[in-house]
This record gives sequence, structure tokens and C-alpha cells, in this order.
Amino acid sequence: MAATTEQVPVRSRGDGEVLPRRSSFDFVIVGGGPNGLTAAAYLAKWGFSVCVLEARPELGGGAENHEPSPGFSIDPHASYFYGAAAPALSQLELGRYGLRASTVTNFGGCASPDGRGFFGAGNFFHEGKARDPEVLAQIMGVSLDVSKVFVEFMSALEPHMTDFFRSIYWTPPYDEKWGLTRSDLPWAQVLREALPFFDEVMLEWSLCEMMNAMGLPDPFKTGLLVGSWGNGPHPFHKGMAIPGFAVQQLMFYSNCTPVGGMHALAHSIIRCGLAHGARMYVNAPVTEVLVEDGRAVGVRVDDETALEEKTIRANMGVILNTHVKQLPGLVSGSHLSQDFVQRVDDLSLKGGSLFVANMAVSELPQYTSAGRELHGADYPVGMLLHSTEDQMLDLMRDVYSLNTHPTDPDHYQLWLIVHSAHDATRAPDGYGVITMNLQVPPPEDHRDGPDAVNKASGEIMETIYDVIHQYAPNMTRDKFVKTWVNTPQDSEFRNMAFVGGHWWGMRGSEDEWFSRKPLPELARYRTPVESLYLCHQTSYPGGLCLLAVPYNLMHILQEDYEQISSTTPEWWYPSKWHITDAEGGTR
Amino acid sequence: MSDDLSSVYPNLAGNPLEGIEFPQEHETDCVVIGAGPNGLIAAMYLAAAGLDVVILERRYEIGGGLATEEILFPGHLVNTHATYHFMTDYMPALTDFDLGTRGLRFHKPNMQLRGRINGDDVLLCRSLEDSRDSMARGSIKDAVTFGDMALRFRKIVDGVLGPATYLPPGAPLDLMEALDRTPVGQDMLALSEQSAVEILQEYSLPDSTLATLLYAACQWGISPQESGMGFMVPLMVDRGMQKAYSYGGSHRLASSFARVILENGGLILDNAEVAAIEMDGSRAAGVRLADGRRIHARKAVLSSLDPQTTFLRLLPEDAAPKEIRSQAESWTWDKWSLMSVFFSVRGKPTLRNADGNLSGDTFETVLGFDDFDDVVAFLESVERGEIPKIAGHFTCESAFDKTLSQVAGNHTCFFQMPAPYDYPWDARRDEIVAEVTDLLDAHFDGFRASVVDAVLESPHEIERRLPNMVRGSIKHGDYNPVQMGNMRPNTDCSATRTAVPGLYVCGASTYPGGMVLGGPGYIGAHTVCEDLEHPFPREYTRGINTYLDTYFPDGLPVA
Ligand SMILES: Cc1cc2nc3c(=O)[nH]c(=O)nc-3n(C[C@H](O)[C@H](O)[C@H](O)COP(=O)(O)OP(=O)(O)OC[C@H]3O[C@@H](n4cnc5c(N)ncnc54)[C@H](O)[C@@H]3O)c2cc1C
Ligand SMILES: Cc1cc2nc3c(=O)[nH]c(=O)nc-3n(C[C@H](O)[C@H](O)[C@H](O)COP(=O)(O)OP(=O)(O)OC[C@H]3O[C@@H](n4cnc5c(N)ncnc54)[C@H](O)[C@@H]3O)c2cc1C
Repeated sequence: MAATTEQVPVRSRGDGEVLPRRSSFDFVIVGGGPNGLTAAAYLAKWGFSVCVLEARPELGGGAENHEPSPGFSIDPHASYFYGAAAPALSQLELGRYGLRASTVTNFGGCASPDGRGFFGAGNFFHEGKARDPEVLAQIMGVSLDVSKVFVEFMSALEPHMTDFFRSIYWTPPYDEKWGLTRSDLPWAQVLREALPFFDEVMLEWSLCEMMNAMGLPDPFKTGLLVGSWGNGPHPFHKGMAIPGFAVQQLMFYSNCTPVGGMHALAHSIIRCGLAHGARMYVNAPVTEVLVEDGRAVGVRVDDETALEEKTIRANMGVILNTHVKQLPGLVSGSHLSQDFVQRVDDLSLKGGSLFVANMAVSELPQYTSAGRELHGADYPVGMLLHSTEDQMLDLMRDVYSLNTHPTDPDHYQLWLIVHSAHDATRAPDGYGVITMNLQVPPPEDHRDGPDAVNKASGEIMETIYDVIHQYAPNMTRDKFVKTWVNTPQDSEFRNMAFVGGHWWGMRGSEDEWFSRKPLPELARYRTPVESLYLCHQTSYPGGLCLLAVPYNLMHILQEDYEQISSTTPEWWYPSKWHITDAEGGTR
Repeated sequence: MSDDLSSVYPNLAGNPLEGIEFPQEHETDCVVIGAGPNGLIAAMYLAAAGLDVVILERRYEIGGGLATEEILFPGHLVNTHATYHFMTDYMPALTDFDLGTRGLRFHKPNMQLRGRINGDDVLLCRSLEDSRDSMARGSIKDAVTFGDMALRFRKIVDGVLGPATYLPPGAPLDLMEALDRTPVGQDMLALSEQSAVEILQEYSLPDSTLATLLYAACQWGISPQESGMGFMVPLMVDRGMQKAYSYGGSHRLASSFARVILENGGLILDNAEVAAIEMDGSRAAGVRLADGRRIHARKAVLSSLDPQTTFLRLLPEDAAPKEIRSQAESWTWDKWSLMSVFFSVRGKPTLRNADGNLSGDTFETVLGFDDFDDVVAFLESVERGEIPKIAGHFTCESAFDKTLSQVAGNHTCFFQMPAPYDYPWDARRDEIVAEVTDLLDAHFDGFRASVVDAVLESPHEIERRLPNMVRGSIKHGDYNPVQMGNMRPNTDCSATRTAVPGLYVCGASTYPGGMVLGGPGYIGAHTVCEDLEHPFPREYTRGINTYLDTYFPDGLPVA
């Protein structure tokens, strides 16, 4: 461990000793987003010396919060917590470093223009309503037959929920070369055991097909489809039904956000890393990965940083917490094949760019949709407006055909999130903050130029206010105190790794999923350069602050470094479905 | 360890992080309330001393007055509160820990303060020679006079005020006796009796120079004609020419302190408002957070908040002697606060007809005053609650720190001025931004056209961000002769111990006072270690030892 470098006292507790000034570490991590930070915390806690170099003025990447006006906490990017099943929470003891949950009692619902509504997902799952077909039928506005199917499905799955989640997200993808099939997928293994009615065809379904098979109607159905689209897995593409369904459940079952917002999650990870001796620097953009004899041996940092050295050596490895599309720019051409660079270039950015508006309001929306009475006293945290399948298809078409904004007010399918309803730290008394997401095309692809959405943002906001008013008549214009817009282009310039302002990094289609995400040779986090790894939301399993990529990466690092595998700490536990290269190669 | 989650997860009854998140009850040695510079410094020394420390911060980010935030969202950061670091040459916290390896880097611009008084530019520089050269444009005699004044002030700061910032205050009589030992000490005693106006008017310097010096001496809250506060003149004038900028923003200083705390096993909780100090009998034994969590302190509770919050709101009514409570009740807030307008602009603002002597960017530019008397009249009317006109100081922070603007070619800057709390800020917000823009447009080429965004932060916003800065009190309480020295916040508590066993005060309302001095936090940690008979982790700096040897050869008198 740390064999090739001077020994760093991991904690200088009490001895008052100062850590040595140095520019060489076991691992250098490029980027301080949730995935980079978590990798740093894992490695530091494991006992290695680690340096994180972050280009932005703050650590946290997409897990950001700001207070542009006193008391109003906004979410420019990540807003919901989906990661309650992450092994990292307990392995890194994030609670010890301050992580606290603000529990959600009513997750929210969806509403469509004809007045239909579904409310109270929180109660629905957490007060057992999901297990009572009669109540469920009433809430969802479906027949008893349909609700019974759903209850049967959920009741069979629930005891296996942790495994279900982890088999999809918290397990390293298999190597495509092993020639495994759909039915070998980790989640196929779990479902086969969990569901008496499991059928291999489920693995082939699109999420929409699955919803149809269960007879689920709008607005609930579209709520799930949009949730899937919004989180990566394409709802209409084959083979993504299970990941698409699971990502929704991740949100419902996580059932909380960190007190203070997602940046507080980053804080706990940062503090865990620092407490274990990691060094973390901001305003330190890395411009180049140094490669010697085909191995990554360090990085070069932009000279305008607070670091005295411009070269930081990595004795064991370099971990990129950057977008896969940044990789060719960071590694000089001769180390990457033309073919590889071309295929990285070919990866599409479509379908995940968000127009975000954080709105300080003097009153919370009071929705008029049906079903409202069922949500009880607790305010619904999330709300999807325009929740019909047609509206979703219209919006999708607008986005994929690169329209600056939805071509009709009816296509403004808005996702509203109100954390201030359950977390007192997020807005001053008597006020709230609504975070709103709307899908728009990525700047790069935009036929009207990369700043088209920015230029139209005033207009877009006008329609957004109108749509909110349509569903919540109390929300007249005077209730909106101040609005902060964050377009995909803003996301990009504020965070180099948000290429396309894409909120989950890369398309979630079967041909870019699991063993092929983002490219087959990158699926197991290795890159064409030895000891250079990709640990970013463009790696498997993709976007969201799940702390999954670095957990998965740790399995691979154990295979690659004897110093790591021979020092496995007692707090570590691997994925049940992990297959090592050696095992995989013999299948 | 096995997969401990699957048994509890998913917890359908409620909180999926039960058993994982920070517990409802936690025990530690020392609890520090408030993570501003003072709280952080106290926690840093206590953690380095090997004590278990938890520091609690109400906001979503630590730092208090050390805040660098993206209030010009998206893409432009500013230092919402402290920008100028006056005490980097003396603050032990900066040299006791290797903060450079934790990302801290200070930069001291040479052109520190430009007073643009009625068309005349007065340039005060880090390099005394450069300041003299600027004075010499008037007359060589001015340059010499100015140089003598600057050196006189420097001696007082270097020999007395600098080191004394980091030692508990003495009783006035002890202090007078001690200072009487040297000519520098005697000079400082004499100065203290006078007002800023009196001190400066003794110098035969051009009016524009005196006006600039007076603004520098008083801008942070000194009444120009109040006597008994004279020692602030050498301090603020000397330090006003030695301000440093923290690269990456003032928040960097807070994060470098935080790194040391964490590396030494300390715990930092943000979004953690302290709602009450809890007692065990007559002893302060911990705190309760607004969310109901409890942190028990086996050894000490340190509050860096203002006296009213600490003694009247957080402590149970019967915990503190009546006298302390009534002293807290009569505590007076800063006589004025600050109003800032933050701008994001295209291109770096260039001062029209700037003094051609020196190249580079000026750290602080004073604008809008006509002469010495105007500065006096202006400050006095602000003190009465008026805004007589727009006049104050300007800094283009991104000229020294390109990290503040994430948009290529754009800059961030602010205009700041002394301002009253009681004022119709919300009603006049837009007008004031327009007036400030006018003033800046008159001095900086094409300023108005370059503005991308502007945000006004009034004293109300200061208080909303940091409620311990009551009425926008940037120093947690007025600087006046009865709230300074061993009377800050009162004679019982000024050495950071309070009448409540186990409770210490270590924020800007405690001796030596506000601004980012790091004095109260340092002294607080020292006192706690002393009371616990626990070794303090660092030696005094050389400057502090020299001061002690010179003025207190028999040791500091016990209070
Ligand atoms: C609008 C929006 C809404 C979202 N909502 C949610 C949500 O509700 N819940 C959720 O869980 N997730 C959400 N996400 C997704 C989540 O933010 C990302 O999945 C997550 O941040 C990815 O983490 P990461 O560490 O892989 O990358 P990032 O968070 O992007 O971090 C990468 C870091 O690397 C740095 N970097 C890049 N290049 C360099 C370089 N050359 N040198 C140094 N540093 C560099 C970047 O500055 C950045 O800080 C949302 C995202 C967006 C855009
Ligand atoms: C606009 C402005 C400009 C300034 N400019 C300068 C400058 O240029 N140079 C300079 O040296 N000084 C400057 N100051 C003054 C300086 O910022 C303060 O004097 C200094 O920050 C005081 O430090 P402190 O640690 O004592 O308290 P603070 O910095 O006020 O920190 C106290 C902390 O306690 C927290 N807190 C409050 N209540 C609770 C609670 N109940 N529970 C837990 N935490 C709580 C607060 O959120 C805050 O973080 C400026 C101040 C302002 C407002």
C-alpha cells in the first residue's frame, strides 16, 4: 500500500503534525463530482493517498446548491436523492460525516389537462396503500383487476428490493466478450427468484410495453414513463423496461433528500475523504493526462491554480471523473486509436438536456387535479404536469427534432419539485422554492445554434408560469418572487463534464447499456490507457448521484492492483453478482 | 462486515437512512456554535490539540463572513461578505498550519487603496515607497509627512495591536501600565484618547489624502469624531495598506480551516442551526439543534454568536447570572451596516483617467466623496439612519481572481458603502442600483453598457444570511469605548470564559472584535485548553512572544 511514495499520515489527530507538501499521490482523481469524490473517499479510507483536482470553484459537481437570495436554496442540477440503497452510505459511514435525511411523506404525483390526477406516491408506498388493491384502484383511477396485478407485482418484488436495485446499479457490468445473454443479467437472476410469474419476455420489453401489459393508465403510466426518460432508460425502447421501472422505484424507495439538498450529500463524502487524508483542490482544471510507456502516470493542471506544482504524479492510477467525450482531449492522440476516438465522437448527446428553473414563490401551488383529496395533509414534493402519453410523445418529438422549445404550450410537460415543503432549511418561513425541469435539445445539436435556448429563456418561462397556473389557479404571476434559470448551455459552461447539459450523461438504450456503456471497452471502467479509469456518469450505470460508479470501480481496481486486493478492509463488501475477469473469461 | 443494509432497507415505514444517517444524539468533547472564521479557528486548534470537536453551522455552507457564492447566478461568484483580509501578517492560524497545502493562497495587490476625491487620485500602496511617490506629485514634503505617519502607525500595529489581537485583554489599568514601558506603547495610549478626525488633522497633508485616510480608518464602523477609539486609526490605516486577497475567494480560507479540522478527526455539520444550549446542572453541557438532535459536550461549549443570541436565546433563562443577561440586553449593534451592489460585467472595468504612475489593478477604490468634511458628514448622517448620497468603495475582485467568473471575458465587481439598517431597502432597491451604476459609469469607461447582472445586498440581506449579524452588524456589535477591550462583550466574558461553567464565547462580539482577525477564535481555543489543562497544540508566534516579553515580562496579569 502506498508502496511507491512517501508515507502519508492518514490522520494527524492530536500530534499536530503537518502533512508534507507533495505532488505525488497513489491516485489522482480528475473531477470532484459525486462519482469522483466517492472514489476518493473509498480509496482514502482504504488507505491510499489521493488527490482530487476539481476545475470548478467548488467540489460537488452536479450535487450543488446555491443561495442566490438569502434563505432560498436552489438546485441547479441534482435535486432528488435516489441512492438510499448505495453500499457507500454505510461503507463510508456518511452519517458520521454529517449526512442527515429529510424524509419525504408525500412523494407527489401527476396530473393531466382533463383533470385526472394521481397523488400521494409517498403515502402510497409508505403507508401500505400500495398493498391494498381497493385503495390503489381508487388512487390510480383503475379497475380492481388492474390494481390487483400491480399489487401482486410489487408485493412479490418488495422483499427483494435491495437486491433488485443493487443487481442493476451497484454491480460492475459484465465484459461483452464473455458472451453472456440477457438472461444472465444480474437483475434477471434476481427477478427470476423474486417473481413467481417471471417471464423472460420482461427482459425484452420496453417500459411502455410493461406498463401496457399491466394495464396501467395515465396519468400514472406517463408519470413512470417520463420518470424513466428523465433518468436515462428510454421508455419506448426495447430491453429497458426493468432498468426504467427500477429507476423510478429508486426514487420512491429512497424517500428522502439530504437535509439542505444534494450538496449536503457531497459534503459528507468530501468530509469522509478529507478525514482519511485525501487532498482536494478546487479551481484546478486538468488539461492533460500524462502517459508514459502506455501507462497514466499523472496529470497536468492549468497553471492558474492555487497549486504550486503544475504536474501531479500518480503512482498507481489516474481516475477520470469527466465526461467520456473529454477523454480524447485529455489523452494525447498517439495513445488512443483513431477508431476509438471516432466512436467516442459518435456517441449521441440526445435526450437528457434540461431547462431548469428555480422559482422562489410566496405560496406553494395548490393543484386542482382529481385525487388531490387522497394526499392528505402532506404537500406533494414532486408533480408532473401534462401527464399524458400523447403530451410526452409530443415533447419527445420536439426535443428530438431540435426545436428550441416545445412547439405548443400543451407539450410543456413540467416536472416540479418542492423540497422546501419538507426541509425547513430550503426557504425562509412563508416562502417556497420550486425547482422545475423541462427537457430541451442539447446545445451542440441545436439547429438554431448552441445559445438558442438561452435566448428563448424569457419566452419559455412565460409559458411555464402559464402551465403552472393552469394546474394551480392560485399561482398568479405575483406569487413568483424571483426565478433563476439554468439552461443546458449554462450547465455546460459551469461544469465541463455536463457535455450537452445532459443530466444523466449518455442515452439509456440497450445498445449503450451495461456491457456496452458507454462503449464496450469502457464498460468495466478501464480505458485504452493502462491505469487510467473512467468514473463518471457516462460510465455504467449512468447518471444520478447513486455513488454506484465508484463502488463498481472498486471491484475492478481490486482486480488490477494487488495492493488493493491484498488490503481489503473489513468494511468492504462486494456486489453479489460481480464476476471477475478470471471467472468471466472461463464462461 | 456484511451487507448491513438489506435488513433495514427499504424501510417502508419512513426514513430509509435510519441507522445510517447522523444520529439523534452524539457525544463529543467540545461543541463550537457557528462556523465563521472564529468558530472554525477555535475548532481547528481544539481538534489539533487532540480534542473531539463538533462545529455546527446554520447555513448550507460553512464560512460565515468568509463566503464566496454564486449570487449572480449562473456563472459569476462574489465574496458576499469579507473580501479584504487585514491581518494575514499576524494571524497565527495562518502560519500554525500548513494551509497552503490545503489550497490557501493569499495575494497582496500593491495598489491597495485609491481615493478618488473630487477628481484627485490618492494612491495608498503596499509598498510605502510607491505611496510616497504618489504623494510626491503634490509635494515632496507631503511624501515625507505621509511616510512618517505610516511608519508611526506601523510601529504601533507591529509592536502592540497586531500581537495583542491574539492575547486575552487586560484590565485597562494593567494595560496602561504595561504600554507605558515603551515610547511606542505611550504613543498608542495617547492616540487612543483621540478621535479619528483629531488624529488625522494633526497631519499637514492635502485634504484629499486626509479624506482617503479617514475613510480607510472609519469605513468599517468607527464614528469619525468619537474619542476613545483612536487606536483604530493606526490599525485600519496600516492594515488598510496591507490587505490581502484570498485566491479562489474568501471561502477558501474557511475551507482550508475545515480541512485541518477534518484531518484531525473533527466533525463539521452544516444545515445545523443550534436552537438551545443545554445544561447539566449549572454547567453548559451541549446543544440542541433546531431539528431536535442533541450534541453533548463533555468538556466545553463555545459560541461564536452575538451576546443576545448566546445569552438570551440559546441559554435557558436561569442559566446565566442576571447581570450577564442585562448586559446582553443593553448590547448595542453596529452603528451602521454595509450595502453592497454586486455586478457581473463584460470586460474588466477600467478607471477613467487613472493615475499613470503605476500599472496594475487597484484593490479598493474610494468614490463619491468631495473632501475630508464630506467624509465626516457622510458617515455621521449614515449613523443617523440616512443615505445622504452614493459614496463608498469599489473592487473588481475578478481582476485578482479569474476563478470568480466562469464566463470567459466577464468580470465580477462590487460597490459597497456604509449604510443604515432602518431604511426602505425593498422599495428603493432599483433606484439605488441605478444610482450606483451612474456613479460607476462616471468613473469607469462604458460601465453601464457592460453590466450583465446586478444584485443589491442590503443590511437586511446580511442579517437574513447571518442572523447573528443582527441589524446587519458586520462586527456583531458596535465599536465604541464601552464595547471594546475587556468590555467586549462585558468585563466578565471578554477573555472568552463566561460566568456559566463550560461555556465560552469566541466570536466577533468578544475581544478583540469583528472582521476576519481570527483573534476571538484563537483566544477561545487557548482558554479552553488552559481550563482543561490540555496542552495547546502550537507555540505563540514570535511577534506575540516579543510583545509579551516587552510589555508583560512577569506574565499576563490574571483577570
Ligand atoms: C439539470 C440536472 C438535474 C439533475 N437532477 C438530478 C437529481 O434530481 N438526482 C440525481 O441524483 N441526479 C440528478 N442529476 C444528475 C447528477 O447531477 C449527475 O448524474 C451527477 O452529478 C454525475 O456525477 P459525476 O461525478 O459523474 O459527474 P459531475 O457531477 O458532472 O462531476 C464531474 C466533475 O468533474 C469536473 N471536471 C470536468 N473536467 C475536469 C477537468 N478537466 N479537470 C478538473 N475537473 C474537471 C467538473 O467540473 C465536475 O465537477 C441532474 C443533472 C442535471 C444536469
Ligand atoms: C458585507 C460585509 C463585508 C465585510 N467585509 C469585510 C472585509 O472586507 N474584511 C473583514 O475582515 N471583515 C469583513 N466583514 C466582517 C466579517 O465578515 C465579520 O466580522 C466576521 O465574519 C466575523 O467572524 P465570526 O466568526 O465572529 O462570525 P461570523 O462570520 O458571523 O460567523 C458566525 C456563523 O455562525 C452561524 N450561525 C448563526 N446562528 C447560528 C446558530 N443558531 N447555530 C449555528 N450557527 C449559527 C452563522 O451562519 C455564521 O456562519 C464584512 C462583513 C459583511 C457583512
